[in-house]
Amino acid sequence: MAIRVQLDRVLVERRMSLTELADRVGVTVANLSILKTGKARAVRFSTLDALCRELECQPGDLLAHEPGPAEFPEDDEAA
Amino acid sequence: MRLLPPRNPLKRDEALSPAFLSAVRGLGPGSVSSVLKVALDVAYVLLALITGVLLLLLLAAIFIPLDNLNVTVSGDSGGRQLPLTRMLLLFGLGAITAYFGGFMLILRSLRRIFRTLTIGDPFHPDNVRRLRQIGLTLAVVTGGVWLAQGFVAARLAPGVMEPQGIGELLTPIFSVLIVFVLAEVFREGARLRRESELTI
Repeated sequence: MAIRVQLDRVLVERRMSLTELADRVGVTVANLSILKTGKARAVRFSTLDALCRELECQPGDLLAHEPGPAEFPEDDEAA
Repeated sequence: MRLLPPRNPLKRDEALSPAFLSAVRGLGPGSVSSVLKVALDVAYVLLALITGVLLLLLLAAIFIPLDNLNVTVSGDSGGRQLPLTRMLLLFGLGAITAYFGGFMLILRSLRRIFRTLTIGDPFHPDNVRRLRQIGLTLAVVTGGVWLAQGFVAARLAPGVMEPQGIGELLTPIFSVLIVFVLAEVFREGARLRRESELTI
């Protein structure tokens, strides 16, 4: 993925657990975990807004861009 | 802020959570979908009964005595008598059983597809496979019917029953094509579903 999610770092800085953040943001722990481990394909602005609100940070603190080809995990549903 | 009911997308082949089901389930009574559901259920039960009875008859046909029974094949231009051999009986019963059994299989897949619709997850990847199976079964059953009628007309009742031309296959071919095209549409739907699962 060319966009890296730095949720781990911000969580440590704010001393918040993933579960607590999930509760506050209104996303399941499973989904937040997908986001954290870089498996997400897209993030809604509404989710990003809620994350920034609860973590009191900017989107740039959560997301980093790594130049280079984007790698997506292969879809296993191809015919 | 929750835009979609919670669902664990990494376990996409497992059952959906109760919260999700209660949020999305609800095809109201009187809607087209509930009429379809009733039609599918009724048709399935009928076909299952018929196929069951036919299977029993087929089994019995292997053993019952067949002395001097004749079958009359008649058409507009007169008829002829055929001795009822065991092979003929088994062929006839077997063909009819396969016909109804084939449609029962199609209905079974169709009901499973419909179930994913009622729980709110119609683009489940399994539906692609089910649609292709339906297409294949339809092709085999209709092709088999055409071949069997050709065989009966040519060998068993020549001059009495006309063999069917290619034109009779036109509707079945189109039906099979439609089903396979829909399977591809559902494949794209499954891909979109996957994308939306991974949109946090």
